[in-house]
Amino acid sequence: MGKCCSNTNQPAGIGPVEWFGNMIDNCYEYALRSRSEGKHVVGIMCEYTPRELIMAAGALPVCLCGGSAEMIPFAEKHLPANLCPLIKSTYGYHLQKANPFLEMADMIVAETTCDGKKKMYELMSETRPVYVLELPQKPDDSDAMKHWIAELCKFKTRLEERFGVEITDEKIRKAIQTMNRERYLRRQLAELMKSESPPLRGRELLEFKSIISGIETDFDKYAEAARILKSSANAVDNSGRIRVLMTGVPIVHGAERVLDIIESRGGLVVCMDNCTGLKPILEDVDETSTEPMVALAEKYLHLPCSVMTKNERRLEQLRRLAAQYRPQCIIELIWQACITYDVESYRIRQLAEELGIPYLKIETDYSPSDSARISLRVEALFETINQEPCQEK
Amino acid sequence: MICAGIDAGSRTIKIVLMDAETKTVITKGLIDQGVEQEKLVLDLYERLFRDNHLNKEDVHRIVATGYGRKIINFAHATITEITCQAVGVHHLLPEAMTIIDIGGQDSKILHLDKDGKIRDFSMNDRCAGGTGHFLEVVAKRLEVSIESLGEMASKSKTPAAISSMCVVFAETEIIGLLATGKKREDIIAGIQRAIAQRVAAMSCHNGGFPIAFTGGVAMISGMDTALQSVLGHNVIVSPYPQMTCALGAAIMASSESVRARL
Repeated sequence: MGKCCSNTNQPAGIGPVEWFGNMIDNCYEYALRSRSEGKHVVGIMCEYTPRELIMAAGALPVCLCGGSAEMIPFAEKHLPANLCPLIKSTYGYHLQKANPFLEMADMIVAETTCDGKKKMYELMSETRPVYVLELPQKPDDSDAMKHWIAELCKFKTRLEERFGVEITDEKIRKAIQTMNRERYLRRQLAELMKSESPPLRGRELLEFKSIISGIETDFDKYAEAARILKSSANAVDNSGRIRVLMTGVPIVHGAERVLDIIESRGGLVVCMDNCTGLKPILEDVDETSTEPMVALAEKYLHLPCSVMTKNERRLEQLRRLAAQYRPQCIIELIWQACITYDVESYRIRQLAEELGIPYLKIETDYSPSDSARISLRVEALFETINQEPCQEK
Repeated sequence: MICAGIDAGSRTIKIVLMDAETKTVITKGLIDQGVEQEKLVLDLYERLFRDNHLNKEDVHRIVATGYGRKIINFAHATITEITCQAVGVHHLLPEAMTIIDIGGQDSKILHLDKDGKIRDFSMNDRCAGGTGHFLEVVAKRLEVSIESLGEMASKSKTPAAISSMCVVFAETEIIGLLATGKKREDIIAGIQRAIAQRVAAMSCHNGGFPIAFTGGVAMISGMDTALQSVLGHNVIVSPYPQMTCALGAAIMASSESVRARL
C-alpha cells in the first residue's frame, strides 16, 4: 500500500489505509459485537441481493465470496475441477468451516445468477440455511420487474419470519439512505481516478472496501480518505502510467493477482466496472419513493451482469466510463469457466475496437502458475501502446 | 557499431548480431536451452564474436527477449517476444499482416497494421497443447525423428481424429490409436491438423493477409500445409523462422542506439 493516507494526524486513531488494511479483522470484531447485541448475520454472495432488506430486518449483510486459492482443493472433492475459482473457493470455506462469517451466518442468501453458483448452493443447503432469490435474466421484458419485485417481497417475508421482526417501509427507507451513503462515499473515491494523475493506484482504491456494509466507522474512514486524497499535499505522480479499464469478473479479497501484475508492469487501473468496483455503486436507490420495495427492485435489476440477456446496459455503461476515465486499453478478467463473461467478452472486444483502444482478455483462476504468462501479455500490450518499447533494466 | 538481440526461448537460445547503422545482420547463432541459461547465453554470445573475429567492445546495445529475458543480466533492456516478433517479421516480410508463431511452449497469433505495428495478439494459456513440445512428445512416442514428421504425414490418406490437445492426454490417445492398428503417418497427420486447428482458433475474426509463419515449428515440414488447409489461406514460412524474434530484438537495439547518438 502507498503512503498516501497514512501519515496524517489522527486524533481519533488510525488512518484510512491502516483501517481498511485491517478490514477483515475489523469486520470480525464488528460482527461479534453485533451478535452479542442480539443482531443476526446474513451472508450474501452477489450484488443483486439488496443489502437494504437485510439491514431493515436488523441483521448484518456480510459478503461471503471466497478469494483463497487454498480452499479450492477441498471444494474439488465435491465440485468439478473445471469450475469458477470463486465458486470453488467459497464452497471450500463451507466444507472446511474456515470462514468465520459463514459460520456465524443465520441465513445465506443465494441467487440464480450463474448456473455454477446456483448448483453449488444446492449442495451448501444440505447443511446450511440457504435462501435462493430467483433473478429474472431478461431484464427488459415487461414481466421481469414484476417477478423481481415478487421475489424481493418473498425474501422480505422470509426475513421477517426467520428473525421475528416487521420490516416496515420506514426501516427500508432508512436502510436505503445508509446504503446510498455508502455508495456515494465509495463512488467519490473511485472518481478520483478520473484525474490525469490520480492520487492512488487501482490496487489501493480496491482496498477501500468492507465485506460488511453500513459500518459507521467505515463511512468515516471513506470520507477521511477522500478528503486526504483530494488535498494536493498528497499528490503523487501517476501521469506516466498506462491507464487501464478493467472489466469482467469481480476481484474478490485475496484474488487481486492480475490487478497487481498490471500495476507492477507500468499500468494504472483507473476504472473497474466489475462487481467489486463501480458496478454496484453507480446507481443509487430512490430514497423518496413511496414504494421502497419497487425502488429497490429497480436499482438492483439494472445491474448489468453478464447473466442478463441481452446485456446492452453493460456496453452502454462501459462507453460512458471510457469517456469519463479515458483508458488507453481495456483488460478483461475472466475467471476460468465463467461462461457468461467469457462469451460476452466477444462483445467487449468489439466495443474496444469501436472505441479505438486495444483489448486484452485474461482467463485465469486463483493459482499463480500462469503469472509469468499473464505478465508477458500485459507487457506486450503496454509496449504496443507506448510505441517506446525499450524497458530499461 | 554492433547491436545484439538475444532471444532466450523455452527450447533454444538465439542471438543475432547486427550492424546498427545499416541494419544488416552480421551473424546469428543458436544453442539448445538448458538449466544454466545465462552461461549458455554467454557461451553462444562469445562464440559468435570469436568465430567472426568481432570485438565485444564494439557492442553498443543488447536487447533480451523470450521467456528467459529477465535473467540475462548483461542485456541493456528487455522487450517482450511479442513486440520483437512483430519487428523481426516486418523487417523480413513487410507485407505480412498476420504472424503465426509456434515455439517450444507457446503459440501466438499477432495481427499487424500496414506499418507493422501490433493491432492485436493472442497466445495459448497455461498448457503446451498446440506447441513444439507437443510435437516432440508425439515424435518420441511414435519413434520417429522430428525432422521426418512432415514427410510421414504427407503419406497419410486418412488422418486420425485427435480430440485431446493436452499433451498428456494426447499421448494416451496415441497409445490407443496405435493399439487399434492406426498407421503412424495417419496419427502424425492428425496431430498436425489438430495443432493447426487449435492455433487457428486463436486467430482474430478480422485478421489480415498474407500470413507469416515463424517459430521452430515452422521448420517442421507439413505444419505449413496443415495450417493452410485449416485457415484456407496461403501461409508463408518466414526466412530463418527460428531467428525472427532475436532479429527483432537486434533491430530494436539498433534503433535505440542510433537514436541515442543523434
